[in-house]
Amino acid sequence: MDISTLKQKLDAQGYVCDEALAATLLVALKLGRPLLIEGAAGVGKTEIAKVMAAALDRPLLRLQCYEGLDESKALYEWNYQKQLLSIQVQMDRTGPDALTKSLFSDAYLLERPLLQSIRSEVPTVLLIDEIDKADEEFEAFLLEILSEMQVSIPEVGVLRAKTIPFVVLTSNRARPLSEALRRRCAYLYIPYPDLDKEVAILRSKLPNVNEHLAVQVAQAVHDLRENEGILKKPSIAETIDWVSALEALGISDLTEDARERTLGFVLKSREDMEASGHCGACGHDGP
Amino acid sequence: MREGVYLEKMAEFAALLRHEGLTVGLRETEDMCKILSELDLADRGTVYAVLSSLCAKSREEQAVFRRAFDGFFVSVEQRQALRARHEAEARELAQRRMEAERDLQAGGNPIPLREDLQEVYVRMGEDKREQLRQMLEKTRGNLERNPKLYGNFIRSVFMRFLLEQQMAMEDAAVGSESLDPDLALLYRDISQFRETDIPRAAALVSAIARQLDAELSRARRGGGHSGKLDFKRTIRRGLETGGTFYRLSYRPRRQKRRRLVLLCDVSGSMLQFSEFALRFLKSMSEVSESSKTFLFSEELCRVNPFALQNMDAFRDYVRSSGLYGRGTDLGKALEDLCAQRPGVLGPSVTLLILSDTKTIDVPRAARALLEARRQAGKVLWLNPIPQRKWPYVRSIQTMSMLCQMAACSTLEELSSTCRRILQG
Repeated sequence: MDISTLKQKLDAQGYVCDEALAATLLVALKLGRPLLIEGAAGVGKTEIAKVMAAALDRPLLRLQCYEGLDESKALYEWNYQKQLLSIQVQMDRTGPDALTKSLFSDAYLLERPLLQSIRSEVPTVLLIDEIDKADEEFEAFLLEILSEMQVSIPEVGVLRAKTIPFVVLTSNRARPLSEALRRRCAYLYIPYPDLDKEVAILRSKLPNVNEHLAVQVAQAVHDLRENEGILKKPSIAETIDWVSALEALGISDLTEDARERTLGFVLKSREDMEASGHCGACGHDGP
Repeated sequence: MREGVYLEKMAEFAALLRHEGLTVGLRETEDMCKILSELDLADRGTVYAVLSSLCAKSREEQAVFRRAFDGFFVSVEQRQALRARHEAEARELAQRRMEAERDLQAGGNPIPLREDLQEVYVRMGEDKREQLRQMLEKTRGNLERNPKLYGNFIRSVFMRFLLEQQMAMEDAAVGSESLDPDLALLYRDISQFRETDIPRAAALVSAIARQLDAELSRARRGGGHSGKLDFKRTIRRGLETGGTFYRLSYRPRRQKRRRLVLLCDVSGSMLQFSEFALRFLKSMSEVSESSKTFLFSEELCRVNPFALQNMDAFRDYVRSSGLYGRGTDLGKALEDLCAQRPGVLGPSVTLLILSDTKTIDVPRAARALLEARRQAGKVLWLNPIPQRKWPYVRSIQTMSMLCQMAACSTLEELSSTCRRILQG
């Protein structure tokens, strides 16, 4: 596969990307390196994993990170209750050695996304979402799987990947990630899209969008992002929501009044709304 | 075998990146060669995106990478133009050095100046050199009458002027090369912020403080369990299921308890820095319920914890306390702190001092610091003066011998020091 083929496949999935982004994705894919994606919330980090799975025709496995996430939720867990029941049922029928051995077999192993991805017969796309929300211990635990594509399970031994998954890690930079983790990954930073790209995204996601309205909204969102008083900058998803809301209300021109009425679709706090000021991109109200 | 074509060039580039401070190992060099030979990239922007994803692993590193890339990958025409420009600059410098040799003379004898200061004279603007020439011209008569006295005077004036210029040149260079405006602000000396930078810097500080808040609350909550079985609870719960331990109970994580005492200088010399430091203080004060914050200039004042809830209210509180913008008496502040009853310092306390060490009565301050160090478990000094200027300030040299001192002249240094403290 070359860059233009991958770009075409991503385009077909409705993901607007330039050649540089497609090249970075292809490099991570070809080298089998995990890809660490950083950027503000809502710029399309998670979407990359989804469209890559669709473009490469691979199953997507998702691990959502949160505080307190540990290997029993991420990698594997023994089905303890099933093991206990099995002991009680088979105690008189099977010898102790055979029973013990059978207890640590695949039948009692609960596979979580990380283990599923490396034991899969077909290559997968593994999304480790919001890694910055997980604890540092979990980050350290990921190092083995990311660099060696293998995991160690004490009762079973080392399990090597049958196929190499395309691993995507996303982070909102809520905390700095360790140097060790960064070194094992290829890195991509996604900024907010420029005006042209945002209009292209609107066209792609809303094929029947009014061109004039799309440009106006993209410009207005661009201005809001430039406004230093606004703490939570509007994401691409919110831009799409805003245009959809305006179209649903039958508005084809973003006037100051229309903006005031629908601003809640892009700004989600009173402080941000107060800081938003007037809109330079808006049309005038009435004659 | 096309990888060999790129090997030498990429090894050179990797060496340059390492020189610039990026961690680029053999694996990265190998990956760069492999990918360039496989993909046959023609577009410069794409080559940049590919190589930066392999070698620059953060936004900050990408700014460094961009500079190195632009300097390394140039066309033949650009290289020739660059060489011509360098040659012209070298010729101009040689010419200036000759002029400097002629200018830096008093009464026919060369003014004894350090080599680096002579170089500052060569590189500084024509207007500044003209100022020194005029000063020399004005004192010509006096110099002829008393060469020894006026020779020393001229030398000291030149030295001071050139040292100031040297510092100004260093300040101008810091952070100015960064491509990202936010990153540039993060690495610029806080005292050098322009009026127009303040809102953007404040937004940046709020973002970093929020990040610290999130880290702190995560540390406080300590999600998950310790991995150690709680036998008592497991056995008790096992009774519900006829003595079979279907549900295991684990011990919760032990939470680290830290006690911080913050002593923040809000005197005249700290005006600019205090504005920013106070924002970080808000995060720091949330480390644990047992942290205490004191402000000082000529007096010591304990901060009401309710005033820390809102940043604007806190700033008003500081201004109305009468401490803001006055002189500094660190010795008195530390003595008052040590004498607080009930005591605020103790073996489990980390005392954080935010001050530039510019205080009246340095010996008294040093004695009080020793006493504070005796009472507190640890004393850490956050200093807003850039580390490269520390050798010029005597009080810093004294205080840094008595306690651990961290430079916090930039927002980046300030946030990373805060993070280090929080991680214990």
